[in-house]
Amino acid sequence: AGGSVLRGAGAWDVRESVQGLGPFGKGTPTSHTMFSEQAAPMAQGLLAPPSAEPPTFPRVPVSGYSDCSQPFQLGERGFSRQYAHIYAVRLAGMRPGLERRARSLWGNGIALRKLSELQAGEKCCVVGTLFKSMQLQPSILQEISEEHNLVPQPPLPKYIQPSDELILEDELQRIKLEGAIDVQRLVTGTILAVYGCEQDDGRFLVEDHCFAGLPPPLPWNGPSSDRFVLLASGLGLGSVSGEALLSTQLLVDVVTGQLGAEGEQNCAAHITRVILAGNLLSQNTQSRDTINKAKYLTKKTQAASVEAVKMLDEILLQLCTSVPVDVMPGEFDPTNYTLPQQPLHRCMLPLASAYTTLRLVTNPYQASLDGVRFLGTSGQNISDIFKYSSMDDYLEILEWTLLAGHISPTAPDTLGCYPFYKSDPFILTECPHVYFCGNAPRFQSKLLQGKEGQRVLLVAVPDFSATQTACLVNLRDLSCQPITFSGFGADSEDGDMEVGH
Amino acid sequence: MSRRAMEQSRRITDSFPRRRRGPGRPPGRLKGKNKITKDKDKEKEKVQVKVRECPRPPSQPSPDPALLEMLRRFDLSWEYGPCTGITRLQRWERAQELGLSPPGPIRDALLEHRDNPDVTYSLWHEYEL
Repeated sequence: AGGSVLRGAGAWDVRESVQGLGPFGKGTPTSHTMFSEQAAPMAQGLLAPPSAEPPTFPRVPVSGYSDCSQPFQLGERGFSRQYAHIYAVRLAGMRPGLERRARSLWGNGIALRKLSELQAGEKCCVVGTLFKSMQLQPSILQEISEEHNLVPQPPLPKYIQPSDELILEDELQRIKLEGAIDVQRLVTGTILAVYGCEQDDGRFLVEDHCFAGLPPPLPWNGPSSDRFVLLASGLGLGSVSGEALLSTQLLVDVVTGQLGAEGEQNCAAHITRVILAGNLLSQNTQSRDTINKAKYLTKKTQAASVEAVKMLDEILLQLCTSVPVDVMPGEFDPTNYTLPQQPLHRCMLPLASAYTTLRLVTNPYQASLDGVRFLGTSGQNISDIFKYSSMDDYLEILEWTLLAGHISPTAPDTLGCYPFYKSDPFILTECPHVYFCGNAPRFQSKLLQGKEGQRVLLVAVPDFSATQTACLVNLRDLSCQPITFSGFGADSEDGDMEVGH
Repeated sequence: MSRRAMEQSRRITDSFPRRRRGPGRPPGRLKGKNKITKDKDKEKEKVQVKVRECPRPPSQPSPDPALLEMLRRFDLSWEYGPCTGITRLQRWERAQELGLSPPGPIRDALLEHRDNPDVTYSLWHEYEL
């Protein structure tokens, strides 16, 4: 295996075009500087003798960080409640906004009715929760039912079928929906308003429907100079192959400024924060073979996650000495399963938690960095909607959850959720500036504009262990670019190791 | 004679022997010499037990049935959401925060009788989920 051979100056190739606009709010049409463009003029330093005084690049200071994920932090947890409470507060919380939106779309004079007040043939608008009855939906009751004698259904990539039906429920009744509504696309738990009339056969014929829409905008207080936030997810430590470890080490080296010439180091000094969005451990650490074995056989075996967490601790130590890091747990990480996932415990990371730059945060995570509001999850909400909807694109699903006004509508139906009773913290009340989800199959990003002046950057952060790609978000103009790391393995034809972005 | 007068108000449980154990006495049958003195102790304990009968602190007046009926109606009204699994005060405060304007006298009654489990917990509190 060779050492790290970097390509010569000027050969940085742009893997993907940057998606973003010009400077935010100002009229001057200057072009924004990409991460690599800043580096290129100074890249001649690679072929020059070292300077007498080694230059230092102080990292841009942390200014204006505030953690807004208090609704996702659970203190004392009690599970002796039914899930009817969370559906009731979800409907009660989103009903006023939906009624306003319905009036603005279909006229002020429309009749807003409850299902119990419906009359056949009268055109009216009803607000309720959606339920999609799916034949293939895994049901624990069917699995354990003795009269069926069924083998448990193997996990499928998608559980949708043409025979699925949509049912609208409000506080008291439910009614089947048909008409101008896409049954395959929608999922259980969405709150929506339908406009139409009840038929004689008892079904509701939908003429039009609407969701809560983009939440009201937050004021913009972003920085005026280039500040970058690195978003990465799916580090996948503890997996069988060691290939991804090299890319992870390259990522750490770029962020801590130990890679590249002075130009790259100068750029890396503009990274103000690193957010790791879940799945720090690989799925292989979850092996369950030891559960069914006898205790005397498994006494001395160590769980695979122990070694992986030690590796995570070492990697986080390198990052934390240099840059603030926010660590969100994901599907395969040692924390609770139900959403909202609580932060990893600091006793698992003894080396890294000595530094105050390490922040162990919840999933979903919401914070205000330099005046820019970030909101994101580790991807379980998006992948769950993917399984039960015809939507295939992670970015499309991400945008849809924003327009539906709820981070994770399928919780608690098909995604584990804590039984909240007072309020549903997944309802979107304000529009974030950056909305991301982790562990997507590939990198995607989009800048969404709303009618009330909302500007949201949607980012689908790719799975690092599969794609070796992370994302750099520029806080000044809400642009996002991917950064890819790759090494050469024993069977790789490509001889050069590349860090491209 | 005075002892017989106090024994006038009898309960059905008087037909079962009442045993009050001291702090150091282990459960089990008493052997030997203690048997003769046991009957006298039982009678004394029966009398003492009747005087000691009231466990609730006397400062709280017990809620009248009309109040309990009002609270039951609050439980069963569907506008304020499900009532199982949470205390009535929690449900009242949740309804207040959602803007459903629950009636104020219910909250006063709940705070006044905070110690009484019949008042604080909902109608189906005794039932498991």
